[in-house]
Formats: sequence, structure tokens, C-alpha cells
Amino acid sequence: MTQHISSAYDRDLEAIQTLVVKMGGMVENAIMSAVTSLETRDLELAEKVRAADKQIDALELQINEEAARVIALRAPVSKDLRAILTVMRIAASLERIGDYAKNMAKRTATLVDMPQISGSDAALRRMAREVQTMLKDMLDAYLRGDVELAENVRQHDHEVDQMYNALFREFLTFMMEDPRNITACMHLHFMAKNVERMGDLVTNMAEQLIYQITGELPDEARPKGDKTAFMTKL
Amino acid sequence: MTHKSLLKVDARTKKRNAAEKRFKTYGFAAIIVSMLALVTLLTSVIGTGASAFKQTYATVTVQLPEDKLDKSGVRDIDVMKKVTTIGYAKILNQGLTDTVAATGIATELSTKDIGGMLSKEAAATIRDHILANPDLIGQEVTLDLLMNGRTDGYFKGRVTMESAALDSNTSPEELALAQALADADIVHTKFNWAFLTNPDASDQRPEAAGLGVAILGSLYMMIIVLVVSLPIGVAASIYLEEFAPKNRWTDLIEVNISNLAAVPSIVYGILGLAIFINFMEFNQSSPLVGGLVLSLMTLPRIIIPARAALKSVPPSIRDAALGVGASKMQSLFHHVLPLAAPGILTGVIIGLGQALGETAPLLLIGMVAFVREYPAAYTPDAGLFGEASTALPVQVFNWTQRADPGFVERASGAIITLLIFLLIMNAVTIFLRRKFERRW
Amino acid sequence: MKDTHMQNSKISAKGVQVYYGDNHAIKDVDVEIADKTVTAFIGPSGCGKSTFLRCLNRMNDTIDICRVTGEIKIDNEDIYNPKVDPVQLRAKVGMVFQKPNPFPKSIYDNVAYGPKIHGLARNKAELDEIVENALRKAALWNEAKDRLNSPGTGLSGGQQQRLCIARAIATAPEILLMDEPCSALDPIATAQVEELIDELRQSFSVVIVTHSMQQAARVSQKTAFFHLGNLVEYDDTTKIFTNPENPRTESYISGRIG
Repeated sequence: MTQHISSAYDRDLEAIQTLVVKMGGMVENAIMSAVTSLETRDLELAEKVRAADKQIDALELQINEEAARVIALRAPVSKDLRAILTVMRIAASLERIGDYAKNMAKRTATLVDMPQISGSDAALRRMAREVQTMLKDMLDAYLRGDVELAENVRQHDHEVDQMYNALFREFLTFMMEDPRNITACMHLHFMAKNVERMGDLVTNMAEQLIYQITGELPDEARPKGDKTAFMTKL
Repeated sequence: MTHKSLLKVDARTKKRNAAEKRFKTYGFAAIIVSMLALVTLLTSVIGTGASAFKQTYATVTVQLPEDKLDKSGVRDIDVMKKVTTIGYAKILNQGLTDTVAATGIATELSTKDIGGMLSKEAAATIRDHILANPDLIGQEVTLDLLMNGRTDGYFKGRVTMESAALDSNTSPEELALAQALADADIVHTKFNWAFLTNPDASDQRPEAAGLGVAILGSLYMMIIVLVVSLPIGVAASIYLEEFAPKNRWTDLIEVNISNLAAVPSIVYGILGLAIFINFMEFNQSSPLVGGLVLSLMTLPRIIIPARAALKSVPPSIRDAALGVGASKMQSLFHHVLPLAAPGILTGVIIGLGQALGETAPLLLIGMVAFVREYPAAYTPDAGLFGEASTALPVQVFNWTQRADPGFVERASGAIITLLIFLLIMNAVTIFLRRKFERRW
Repeated sequence: MKDTHMQNSKISAKGVQVYYGDNHAIKDVDVEIADKTVTAFIGPSGCGKSTFLRCLNRMNDTIDICRVTGEIKIDNEDIYNPKVDPVQLRAKVGMVFQKPNPFPKSIYDNVAYGPKIHGLARNKAELDEIVENALRKAALWNEAKDRLNSPGTGLSGGQQQRLCIARAIATAPEILLMDEPCSALDPIATAQVEELIDELRQSFSVVIVTHSMQQAARVSQKTAFFHLGNLVEYDDTTKIFTNPENPRTESYISGRIG
């Protein structure tokens, strides 16, 4: 894209995008740290995740302020307008993902004293890894303005959903086998649900990114994998 | 570059300020010089000319003997007309001598010399008076009669005892007598209406010369110039400015109009002589020819400022008028012309002023002739404005040519009259401008 | 009014070319302008937007070297047909100019001038009514009703421009052309005029040329972007300002070099 006649305008937009990428990196970290702390029962790491969320929230605030400033001073239109709208929505989604990660870290502290549910930690980590990859790809697509990559990210949500479906069944089984597992399974299920929500949020960001680049939101033809809402039995 | 304290004026600024001050001084000096020139001109003209508006008269009581003025005694005007001014002059000589004697002033001057103190015009004045009132014959009348130029000059300070001693037309004794008569209230000075109403007079009697014919002639010519050049000039400028296509022809016309404005006025005189007198055979010396020549001369001088005035009307006004669906004519007459009117008027009055003061072309068409008869605006013989006449500036020119020093004063007086005419015209313009401009 | 094949189309231009002497100012412009909408023409200086606007009421006729070809139809009638008298056309297509240009007459006379020369009022009472209605529509009545006989040039800039709008409305036009009507006004007066333009949309087709993209975005429903004599893009204003098709439009409206 060619430059603006006012170079300060370009600098403003670049600065906001840099903030978004920085925030994205912090959120990626938070996701992985949250599952790792669960796997290793590392309470210190869980505490770090909860602390890092404050920084993520602060960044979102800063991004919103910057965006408001650009809107007020530059009256952006067309691509610039879409870029600012996208920045605000991505920041909001990232903040939400950060909150989920924090929530996971909280539950880690509770789960330390409970019996392990075999295989669930690894499954959660795989799921989180998948979401983290999606987020990373989304941020790359954002930096490069790559519609194809964004579309790719969008399609990946399906896999996360399927992992969640599998975990859901697993937790149900464990709970039916032994009622003493119920508390742990409930917590673990919430964590799985958190990761699944993160996937949805990343998907939203990818869609928003497609809107920023093409001017149009992609149509709804996206594979939906979360079928737990319709599950009545195993 | 770092800036020094603003409180300290640097050398460059000083130089610039000094240059500015010098320039202002030059401008002010130029104003002073031109004001001085104007003041000098006015004092000189008014100094010599103001006295033309006053004139010395003697109140003379004259016996009108029937045997000399109407021998037949039947008061037949045609017979009475046979008595010339020379006859009346003798009666006047006697009358003034008697008047002098009646006041008891002793003098050694002869009756003829005493009578000579009156203007030669005085005999004509009393003759006209008697012919108008034949019943006065045989009686005694008391009349205010013109003193001659030298005596008049004495009271205005132009003639002194020393100059009179060297002058064959007067003598110190006559002046002494005049002074004595003035002391006795026989001789007095009053406002000279005759200067504005009388026709020109011959070389020997500047005291009788007036501007009547010249003022009439100038007035007629101004009417002609106004009637001819105002509509033609304004119409031409409107056409050129609003309607004419912009092409080589209109460019050529434009250049020529500008050139015409710069053509020396005497050329218009030659043109007038050739066209109006030789070819169209209008009367020589007539205000008609003079007016037409001056109209030709004034036309470009009206067209140029009128075009400038039209051009200075903001195009947004024309756009506005066209935008609401006015036609070109409506836009012109409803909006453009009223706004241009003050400018056009100014051009017209300046043009008229120049025409009023123009001398050279009039000399060529014979308006410099000696005319004693008041020209009529219309006569069946001569047609409209066809009777011979002179004009104010020509009269000035004419009088400055004459030998008698009395005419110097008359010429300056005529200039003052001309200036007053111009002042009146300018006042009218200013009044009209104000009136038009008040319509926003 | 005849039925047009295109529903709601007020002005229809096809293949319009304008030449100023040797300069090709408008190049093959096709545009359909809808009735009862505000259409904005935007574009850099010298792009031909004002020229095209002036074609719509044949104001270009007054310029000797200007030549217009192609077809411009208003209500399906070709306005460049030799039978069309531009004076009549301009009563139907009113115009408001960049600089407020009230006549140096009273407020009343300014508004009454158009109806007078077009014979729209049979008597003084009718004329008074027309003047009042026009001033009301132009949102100037309350400010002007007590000073109808004072000069129009004594009003403030924004009031003068609204007076000019009232003057244009008074001839009962169907289309109002506005050539940068706010460029000489302060922001408050601009806002008042913009508010007025939005109201005028109820009764007229408004075509406005503007240098302010924000203004085009605020007041218009349709926007046409002109560049170097070409009509680059013509679409809904929302579309133009969020997602223009043409990269030249994009560059221009977002203030980019290009």
C-alpha cells in the first residue's frame, strides 16, 4: 500500500499494529504457560500467568486509547478505517484469551491437590498447542496482510473443536467411572472449554483480518466442530 | 543561525527600517510639492482673477435734451436710432462734468477728459436705455455707468499714479478726480454680474467684456457631448465587455480605442473641420460642431473607464443572476449596470470635464471668433445649436492674446469661472455616486 | 414527467465530453443521478467535477471556448437540445456557488428576484408567501424575518450562503447544484448548511461538489469520484468510504500518495 501524504498518520498506524503484535506474543505465551503449569503442577508458573494478564489488560487499554486518538485526529476512511476497527476487535479478543488463560492458571492451583486424570493433561496441551499455532499464524497473517493464511487459520478451528469433543467424552467417562473424579473433571472440562473458546476467538480475529484486507467479512461456510451442545449420551 | 536578543535591533533591520522611512519621506515630499504647485496656481489665478468679479461704476446724473436725441420730437424709434453713441458720449461728458461740479470738487480737467473716465461702453448703455424708454427724453436720469479700464484698474490697485503719468489713456489728474469722486460716493465698486452675462467686448474696453456667450456656448456643447457620447460610449462598452466575442477583431477595436484616447485633441479639431464643416457643411463656430468634435474626443475616454467599471463587477454576481435563470440582458440591467454605474459616472464626468476645458480643437473649427450675439439654442436658419459662439477655454485663450492689461484680469476671472463649473460638475458626480452606492 | 426506463433517475448523462479549447476537461462520463438524493462529486482540484456540475445547468454556455458533447438528460429530456432555452433550464436546475454571492439588494429582493423574472407570483401577497417559504426551507426565516429589508450582504457568511440557497429554492427548482457551498464558511455555518442540505433532500435532487471528503460522507447518499476528467468510481457513499473498488479512489479518500 502506498504511503499517506501525512507521514505521521503512517507512523500512528504502524505503532498501533506493533502494539497488537506485542500483545499477541504475550497472549501466546500465556496460553502455553497455563497448560504447562497444569502438566508440571508448577504453581509458580501459574502465578506468573495470572500476573502477566494484568500487563495484557494494560496493553489492550493502550491500544484502545491509540485507536481512539487516530479516529479523532485522522478521521480514517476505507482501508485505514477497517484497519483501526480490526485493531480494536483483535485487541478485545486477545484480552479475552488472556482472561481464559488466567482462569486456567487459577484452576491449576486447585487441581494440584486432586487426583490426576490420566492423559487429560497431555490432551489439553495438544489442544492448547493447536490454538497457539492458530494464533501465531493469525498474527503472521496480520503482519503480512495474508488473506490465505487467515483463511487457513479459520479452517483450523474445526480441529480444536474435535479435540474438545473427544475430551468432553473422556471426562464424562471418567466421571461415570468414579464419582470422586467429578471435581477434577469439572475443572478440567472448564479448562478444555476455555481452550475451545480461545480457538473461536482466534477464528474471529482471522475473520476480522479478512475484513480488514478485503473489505468484506467471509461468509459463514466454516466447519463447526463443537457438537457437545447436542450430546445426550456417550 | 542563532538569533540574538529581540530587544536589540540588528544592522540589517536598521537598514531596512531606514529605507522604509526614506521611501515614506519621498512620498510625503511629492505630496508637498504637488500641493505647493496647486496652491501657487490657485493663488495666482485667484489673485489676478478675483477682481474681475468686481467692477467700478459711477453714478451719473444726465440731462437728456430733446433737441439732440430726437429732433423730430415724435419719439420714432427708427429716427432716434440715427443718433450714434458719439452723440450720447457728448451728453455723458456733460453729465459727468455737471455731476462733478455739483459735488463741488474743483478740477482743471476738460469736459472731454472728465467724460473720458467713463467707459466707451457707457454711451452704448445709455443709448440702449433711452431707446428702450423713449419717454425719458427731455428729463434728467441718474444711471450707474461703467468707468473705463484704467480708472477701474486704479481702484483695484492695478494702475498707480506713477504708471498713469506714463499712460496716454489716463493721467494722475483723472485718477485724483476719480478718488475724490469715490470719496463723494459718486464712484463705487460693486459685484460684476455683467462679467458672467455680457458678451465679449472689443480690445479697448476690457471693463465691458463678459463671459455670457462663452458660458452659453460651453453649456450647449456639454449638452451635446452628454447626449451624444454618454449613450454611445456606454452602449459600446457594454457590447465590448459583455457581448462581443473575443477574437482578433475585437482585440483590434480595443487597441484602437485605447489609442484614440491618447490622440492629441487638436487632431480631433482637424477631423471636425474636415467632416463637419467642409463635408457636412455645418456652421462654422457653432456649438453643434464643437460639441460633436468634443464628443468624438470624449468617446474613448468614456468607453475605457466604463469598461473597467463593468469588468470590476464581481463575476459571482453574474453567476448568481444566471444561476437563478436570469437572461443575459436581465443580469446586465438588473445587477451589473447598477453596480457599475458609479464607475461609469465617474468616467463620464471626467470625460466631460476634459471636454469642458478643451481648447485646441475648438480653435480649428472657428470657435475663437469674436461673437457679441448670444447664440440661440435653436433658430430656423441655423438649426439646433447652429449659431456662432465661443467657449470658456477659448475665451481664456482669446483674452490672454489681447494687449490691454485689463484683459489679464478678465482671463483669470474666466479661469475661475471654468474651475467653478468643473467643481459643480464634480460635486454632482459625487452626489450621484453616493446615491447609487447607497443601494449597496 | 415521463416515465424513465431507470426507476428514480433524475439526471442521466451518457458519454459526456467537455473541451476547454484544446483541453479535454471531461472524458466520457456516464452517470445516473437519482431523484431526492444528495449526490456528492469529489476529486482533486482540476479533476473536472465543477465543470461537470456546470454542464448540468449549462452554466458553461457563458464560456466561449467551452464545448460539450454527449447526452445529458433531465427527466428524459436532452438539455443540450437546441430547442432548450438555458434560462428555462436554470429555473428548473438551481445553483448555489462556492462564495456566498447575494445580490447587493435587500434580503427580500434577493429571494424575490427569481420568482419575479420567471413570473411565479401574480401579486405581492403570493410573492411574500414564496419568499417566506423559501426562507423557511433554507432555515433562515427566524433570523431574517425582522430584517427582510436590510441588505443581504450584511448577513454573516453562513447566513449569506443560506440566503443564496433560499434564492435558488424560490424559483421552485427540481434539482439543486451546489459548487463547494461551504468552502468559505466556518465549521458552525458549515454544519448549518449541511443540516439544511439533508433537509432539502426531501424536496430536491441535490448535487454537491466538495473538497471535503468528510462533508461528502456526511451529507451524501451517492458519491462520484472524479480524477483527471474521468469518473473513476460512482457508488453508494458508504461503499466509497469503507470499501472503494478502485485503488485511485482508495488513495484519494484515505489521503495517500498515488
